[in-house]
Amino acid sequence: MGLVNLLCAGWSGLVFLFLYIPIVLLVVYSFNASDLISIWGGFSTEWYVKLWNNGPLIDATKNSLIIAAFTTVFSVILGTLGAWLLYRYKFPALRPLGTLIFIPMVIPEVIMGVSLLILFTVVSVPLNQWLATFTEAEFAQGFATIIIAHTTFCFPFVLVAVQARLTGVDPFLEEAAMDLGAPPLKAFWLVMVPYLLPAIVSGALMSFTLSMDEVIVTFFVTGPESQTLPLKIFGLAKKGLDPSLNAVSTVFVLATAILVIVADRVRKFKH
Amino acid sequence: MKTIRLILALTLLAATAVPSYGQAKKKQVLNLFCWSEYVPQEVIDGFTKETGIKVNTENYASNEEMLSKLLAGGSKYDLIQPSEYTIEALIKKEKLDALTLENIPNLKNLDPKFTKMPHDPEGKYSVPWMAGTVGIVVNTAKVKTPITGYKDVFAGTHKRRIVVLNDSREIVSWALATLGISANDMTPENLEKAKPILATWLPQVKVYDSDSPKTALLNGDVDLGIVWSGEAAILWKKNKKFSYVLPAEGAHQFIDSLAIPKGAPNKENAEKFINYILKPEVSVRISGEFPYTNPNAEAVKLLKPEQRDNPASYPPGAPKLETFKDIGAAAKEIDKLVTDIKGRK
Amino acid sequence: MQAALGAPDTSGTRRPGLFGWLLMTPMLLWLFAFVVAPTLILLVYSFCERDDLGLVVYSFTWDNYRRIFFDSDTGEFGTTYLTVFVRSVIYAGLTTVICLVVGYPVAWYIGRAPESRRNLLLTLVMIPFWTSFLIRTYAWITILSTNGLLNSFLQYTKLIEEPFDMLYTPGAVVLGLVYSYLPFLILPVYGSVEKLDNSLVEAAFDLGAGPVRAFQKVIIPLTQPGIVAGVLLVFIPAIGMFAISQLMGGGTDPTIGEVIQNQFMQARDWPFGAALGMTLVVMFAVAFWFTSRRQEAVPG
Repeated sequence: MGLVNLLCAGWSGLVFLFLYIPIVLLVVYSFNASDLISIWGGFSTEWYVKLWNNGPLIDATKNSLIIAAFTTVFSVILGTLGAWLLYRYKFPALRPLGTLIFIPMVIPEVIMGVSLLILFTVVSVPLNQWLATFTEAEFAQGFATIIIAHTTFCFPFVLVAVQARLTGVDPFLEEAAMDLGAPPLKAFWLVMVPYLLPAIVSGALMSFTLSMDEVIVTFFVTGPESQTLPLKIFGLAKKGLDPSLNAVSTVFVLATAILVIVADRVRKFKH
Repeated sequence: MKTIRLILALTLLAATAVPSYGQAKKKQVLNLFCWSEYVPQEVIDGFTKETGIKVNTENYASNEEMLSKLLAGGSKYDLIQPSEYTIEALIKKEKLDALTLENIPNLKNLDPKFTKMPHDPEGKYSVPWMAGTVGIVVNTAKVKTPITGYKDVFAGTHKRRIVVLNDSREIVSWALATLGISANDMTPENLEKAKPILATWLPQVKVYDSDSPKTALLNGDVDLGIVWSGEAAILWKKNKKFSYVLPAEGAHQFIDSLAIPKGAPNKENAEKFINYILKPEVSVRISGEFPYTNPNAEAVKLLKPEQRDNPASYPPGAPKLETFKDIGAAAKEIDKLVTDIKGRK
Repeated sequence: MQAALGAPDTSGTRRPGLFGWLLMTPMLLWLFAFVVAPTLILLVYSFCERDDLGLVVYSFTWDNYRRIFFDSDTGEFGTTYLTVFVRSVIYAGLTTVICLVVGYPVAWYIGRAPESRRNLLLTLVMIPFWTSFLIRTYAWITILSTNGLLNSFLQYTKLIEEPFDMLYTPGAVVLGLVYSYLPFLILPVYGSVEKLDNSLVEAAFDLGAGPVRAFQKVIIPLTQPGIVAGVLLVFIPAIGMFAISQLMGGGTDPTIGEVIQNQFMQARDWPFGAALGMTLVVMFAVAFWFTSRRQEAVPG
């Protein structure tokens, strides 16, 4: 077994190299003075300066953060509530319901994207006619549609995470709280939620990241004012001519690394 | 129950607040739907600085893509940048708003050659942005044989070293050109004739790219390309080894214009933008970054000599050129034709 | 994942009263509005036609499905679109297999490592996992392009004369897919490996049958939930992925994701795109049903 472990260790080393070398190269070349993507022309931070002044990119980042925040909140509400209800009560048609929840997690994003696009298209005209009768607000593709789309495939992740945590819970935890006089909802809030918190946090983190990274579905349901960061990156990657994309990528990688490390520290601290 | 009510109320509030978040009723906005390499960011920033209007941009890489999203109706755009044949179709189907010409005094700067064109005879619906051609770029450092037209490109000696636009209409028109048929004569019989030609051509293509075909050429992944003239001009600026050839069989001359879709929420802002870019100093900036053929006579006067001399931007001689007309139902057949052949191996 | 969703058998024996149903309604409404309804509309669209300008015309036709299965010229079964489906499945399948072969040993190593090192290794896997796949794909474009880093390096060290054609090939697409999805396989498999009872593992190896037999007969079956989850997390998204194949493949050997996306953008044939989409969904439903049957057969 020692030999097996040694081989696996060596193999893992190679795999990690494979995973990291492109990222490292990307970061290194973000400091390239020449604007060709592979010829080194000297050290320079001009691309980061350009990035700082790049209005649309900064706007896109803001949009992505806002969308991810809303998505996470909605996903946590839907997912936690859903998981707890499925655990507590025996709903009819449990199998089909479970499959229905499972679908957005695994459906190919392009299908979700086009089906939601069609939905919003079909709905937009009658909806706007109805809205026009009592309000100035209009339905248009943009933040609302993206948040809806993201929430739809993010909340199942929260639900599954919370459900996994629930399968280990002591069923009498809530009973005990209620026996002590707390109404069911309060029992839920004061006892269950703290217990479920690690799962909720992990689901929330998953939602946030999935939303920040999402490009396929967003591509179909976006509007002009809601260009997100991945969409902009996709556009830039298609043009791919100068290292400003490297600079964007480096910032992204650093932000991600910091987030992961912080999340890990928090997790360890809690335990 | 109170907590639930609170949560539900918050959710409803958030849900209704979010759609209007993007409306920005207090703030002035302009929703610009434009080609992906056509409107310089500094022009947009300059406009915002001068008028205080925030510009939201969404990009597309082909007229068809633009039509797809525009006609779906889900998004409200204020300005679009269609090519001549698309404008013709949009005017026919009454999808454009007539311009209030008094709001655009700078129209006088345009070269009369580009106004009152067949697709918009009274110039009521569109204002020319840039004109150009679709032609062949040759990396003369790699390609030593003479290239004069489409037949030379697809002769078979440059297999998988070619980039072409990802545009069905363009691709089919090239095939028709080699048969001496006009690009606007898209009858079913002619399309049948084009099929075998495309079946031999398309497998030789390495990359389909309408966003930035110059990338594959610059990176050395391909040696030949059939691309927009502006892309060719940028390549020539970077390195004179990239020469631009207008195909002898005939090339597409396009005129891209700004137009306002019907029901645009910010029509006045759109007209302000059009007036802004017609200013010679602004138009020169556009030419600087995207060296297509500038229809603004006052701006052309301000161009530097090397810009005027760029053979891709301002082709010399009298090449065989043709503008596209709206082909109505045939558009569906072209899309089908190219999709079917592309998937083939 | 599967078992948890099917029927949580701890508690949950009460029938939901009005209260329960009331709370459940938001989620049910959401699922109906944004999962069921769009799919139904997609189904309806797949039987419609388009007009010249590309708008949808609500008239029933089998044409779209006919075009997918039967060649427009000869009328025979078998078309370019079926080829595209097959190609996408092959890409996704190849990606999954490669990820499995490359990733399993890594998951094993991390899962069996001492606690302190394990956290570090996990973090190292997490960082690419959380980094946008677009960025990671772009990294490969800069490396693989003809004037890119790899070719420049190889030419500089005189290993090759002329640059290699690496980008815009099927190989590049698979590489991009593997690179994006590898962490998605490592993590669930790691989850299974970590839960392994150490004594079982020791026993497997001690029984003198050699490491290969130990893995084959004991370890792999025990880590099956992780493997299945990992395979699902890689295979399914990989089939519909168009961004990676577009960036790395140049658009010449389109995947089904690209073709569908194209129908909704460039080609403006939404009904045809819907038909392609529905076919994909049906393919999935069938495959899904198959694997869930097999899962039931295997003792959990």
